[in-house]
Parts: sequence; C-alpha cells; structure tokens
Amino acid sequence: MAGDHGGGEEEWKQEESELKAAGAVLLPDGHFGIRLKGWHIESSKRAILSSSAVHQWEQRLGTSHLPEMVFGDSALFLLHVESGIKIHFNAFDALMGWKQEALPPVEVPAAAKWKFRSKPSQQVILDYDYTFTTPYCGSEIFVPNSPRESVEDGCCSLHWEDCDQQIDLAALSSREPILFYDEVILYEDELADNGVSLLTVKVRVMPTCWFLLLRFWLRVDGVLMRLRDTRMHCAFVTDEIARPIILRESCWREATLQSLTAKGFPSDSAAYGDPNLISQTLPVVAHKIQRLRVSR
Amino acid sequence: MSELDRQIEQLKRCEPLKESEVKALCLKAMEILVEESNVQRVDAPVTICGDIHGQFYDMKELFKVGGDCPQTNYLFLGDFVDRGFYSVETFLLLLALKVRYPDRITLIRGNHESRQITQVYGFYDECLRKYGSVNVWRYCTDIFDYLSLSALIENKVFSVHGGLSPAITTLDQIRTIDRKQEVPHDGAMCDLLWSDPEEVVDGWGLSPRGAGFLFGGEVVTTFNHTNNIDYICRAHQLVMEGYKWMFNNQIVTVWSAPNYCYRCGNIAAILELDENLNQKFRVFEAAPHESRGVPSKRPAPDYFL
Repeated sequence: MAGDHGGGEEEWKQEESELKAAGAVLLPDGHFGIRLKGWHIESSKRAILSSSAVHQWEQRLGTSHLPEMVFGDSALFLLHVESGIKIHFNAFDALMGWKQEALPPVEVPAAAKWKFRSKPSQQVILDYDYTFTTPYCGSEIFVPNSPRESVEDGCCSLHWEDCDQQIDLAALSSREPILFYDEVILYEDELADNGVSLLTVKVRVMPTCWFLLLRFWLRVDGVLMRLRDTRMHCAFVTDEIARPIILRESCWREATLQSLTAKGFPSDSAAYGDPNLISQTLPVVAHKIQRLRVSR
Repeated sequence: MSELDRQIEQLKRCEPLKESEVKALCLKAMEILVEESNVQRVDAPVTICGDIHGQFYDMKELFKVGGDCPQTNYLFLGDFVDRGFYSVETFLLLLALKVRYPDRITLIRGNHESRQITQVYGFYDECLRKYGSVNVWRYCTDIFDYLSLSALIENKVFSVHGGLSPAITTLDQIRTIDRKQEVPHDGAMCDLLWSDPEEVVDGWGLSPRGAGFLFGGEVVTTFNHTNNIDYICRAHQLVMEGYKWMFNNQIVTVWSAPNYCYRCGNIAAILELDENLNQKFRVFEAAPHESRGVPSKRPAPDYFL
C-alpha cells in the first residue's frame, strides 16, 4: 500500500546540475512541480475531503456512498503550454467513471454464512459497487493558450485513437536522472476491513520524457484481485512548439482467489498486499494502446 | 519504582517490552479482564477515545490533550492495533495502564482485536518483525478474547466499537454473550464490533458485501428508549473532523487517529464527559512530523514501469 514506508528517510532532492542540464526549473514555493521542454507538470496533495465536501460530492455524483478517503483536492496535471493540451488526474472524474460503470457488488466470503442468519424485519439490501472500481484512465482538456490558437483553430477537442505504437519500455528502463517524481492518492477505501480499493497516480519526469502510471488496485479479501493500469508516455522533441505525441496504454488484470489457488498460488490475503509483486500472476482481461489526437 | 511502573515508563518511550515481560503482563491483565462484564460499568467523569491503530506518537498527543492516566479516567473503544507502525507499543502501553490502574482505564474490543484481521492488516507482521517470533502476537490475541464488548457510563451513555445488532434489543442480552472467543463471522458479538449507522435506511440495512449490518435512525431511537439511555458513543469509522453526530444526537462517532495512516490529514477527537455527563469534545492533530519516525511527505523517486 502507498503508506507502507520504512523508517525516516531524508527528503529526496533533485540535483541542481541535472535540472540545469535539462533546462528544467522547479516550481516556486507553494507549488510542487517542474517546467521543462514546453511542459508544466504539477502535483498537489491535500487532506481527505471534509464531511460537508463529501456531502456536496455525493449530491453532484448522485450517490449516497463515496470511498472512506477521498483526496478530492489532490491532483496531478501535465500541461503542454504551447499546444494547450492538458492531461490531468482527479478523484471526481474517476468517481464519475465508477458511477457510470456501476458493477454489481462482490460478495465477501462471510456472505455465504449470512444468508442463513435470521433477518430483521424490513431489511434493505444496499447494492452499490462498494469496491469503487473505475474505468478512469485520466482526463484531458484543451486549454487555449494564445489568441492565435483560438482564432485560427477554432475550438479544438482531444480524443484517444487506437494505435499500434508501443510505449518504449526499454528506453524507460535506462537510468537517466529523475528530475521530478511524485505519487498522488486520489481515493482509497478499506472496504470496511475486507480488503483495499486504491486509486493512485505516479509520475516521473526525465530529461528526455515523462512517464506516468495511474493504477486502480482492488483486493477483496478471500475473493478477488483487480488491477487496472494506465500508463502514459511522452518523449520530448527538440521543437517545443510542435504538438507532443502522447501514448496511453491500458492494461486490466483480474483474477479470483479461487483461480489463483487452483494454480498453486497462496490462499491467504496477506500474500497479496503489494500489487507490484503479484501483477504478473493476474491474467490480462483487457489491453489497448492509444494515441492522443487533436481535432477541430 | 515497581517493575510495572518501570515497564510503563519504558513503553511511554515507545520501547517494546521483552517477550517474557509481555507474557507476564498478559497473564495479569487476563485476571482483571475476566472479571469484567460484557457491558462494563464506567463512572463519570470519563474521557472516551476511538480508534488508535498503532499510531503511538499520536496517542501520546491524545494523552497530552486529555491528561495522563490515572489522573484522567479513560474509556478506549477498541482498534488499538493494525495499520500504524507501533501496534505493539500502543497496545502494551494501554494494557500495562490497565493492569496498573484497573479502575481508571477501560478497554473494550474492536474488530481489529482479532486473530484473523491482525494477520492481514499489520499487527501480526509487526510482532514477527520486532520479536522474531509470533509468541507476542499469540499472547496479545489471547488477551483480545477477554476484552469487554461494551461499556455503560452512569447508565446513560452506551459505548461500543461498531454499533447495534438485530439480535440485541436489551443490554441484558449483551450480558449473556460468551465473549471469550475469536470474533465470530456473524451473530450478536460480530455485529457489536462491526456494524455501522447508515443515513439511507431507517431500519436495518445489509451491506452490499453480503455481510455486515447497517442500522438507521429508527433502530437507534428504539434501542435508546428501550434501554433508557441518552445516546450511543461508538468509533469504527474515520471522520475527517474527529467526531460526528447522527440521527438527532442519538449516536456519535469518535475517531482518535489523527492523520490516519499518516496520509489522510484528518483531525482526531476525544469526548470528555464530566460528573454530570456534560460533553466536551477535544480535538487534536498528529504528532509533529519528525518525532514520529515516519517518512517525509514526498516519496523517494522510483523507476516504476
């Protein structure tokens, strides 16, 4: 889980010389982010929503249930200043996706026993998707920058188009310096101590590209694991004014605990604490690669 | 200074006891807890505390705000362990205070005081890491079975970790439960430790998980009336503001783990009741960052793929 850190580490600092060599500038005090190669990349991490804000969100989303911890004021955005292309990540849009997908609830193992309990008179069975599973893979918006853009191009819209280009993972494995790094939790729920539902986005910015991973991770103890990863990559080009090429790869994996134990994997939930360690054991259920297109 | 007083001083510095000391402490605690009722009587004035979850340094903030035991009479509503980094020290300090001042601190059981839950959510691993064996986890989880299930303050404020059960109409029905067991997966004892109040139902609701009761305002009104109590005080659910009233002040949730899991940024609260049961909520924030030994806000970079 995102909070399972070790002991007190020194706060990590970027090397001044590396920033300078890449022509990068960190954002001034009060802002956490970086400007380089025509991009403005910024993250913000805030406390969970207050009770009154939760109430407002429930009304706006048309639900009476939200995750226990909604980091509604936390966000990550990546803006290409010249083209006006802005990619951003926030809990609200992700929860809109949850509301629309509206998967049927998953029963926990104890439910089998509960079917035989004597029922109180007039029992209401709630049926929302308490796992907060979302198809969210980020938000994009066109932010007209210069008057030239808005007059000449009219109204631009952004959309993702299937493509057969791959994200260059080999290039991403090279240890070029990380100039900016952050991980932002968008929402989290403990499923009332029946597992975990966690939506996070992490980003790293290097001298030649940026790369991010938006991950929805779900474990319903004794029942199933679900991992929905979205990776985005943008290689910097010499011409900062040219439209950037942004690739997006979504990979959804899912398995029931039953199917995993049948393959010889452990049956206790404690063995499935870290999605990084088990992602490869979960079969892929959906996969696609897309490229961001601008149309008018 | 007695051996026990020395151990309390040691635990207050967040230094765990030796395995043999834990074993002896648990044996003494068992003798005290076994005598307690499932509805333990508590006198006012008393200070009620919600979930702690192993956030030891934040619990020290709680004692700074609420006063030291035994000067202050405390009631803790369970969930001492799991999720935080110091479940061992947190639970042992509370248990040592219980043995030292049995009439000045009451500990009741939360759903995390269970063998099954602690194996998934941290306490088991922490014991193994700190002691190299699971013996301390065994001693502690054996003690969990002896913790009382609820408390009744001056016959007027009913306190429980989770909430109500459709199998329970009167407090006498709670008194008849045989509690000396692992928390069961269903039944009255399970409900008391697991259930939640829910705005969208009036009567009883069933969680979409297929297990876990939810109870509405009507259920609370009937229970309070039947048992002639003023209100219910419970914990179990994170509240950003530290406490939250529901159903026209018939039930209140108290949450005492500030900046829960070291990242939520929430406030914590304790509820002080004076000798006339007048309420005063005291809110507090997490311990200053550096004293807690947890990492800085910004994570170290990682070449994730």
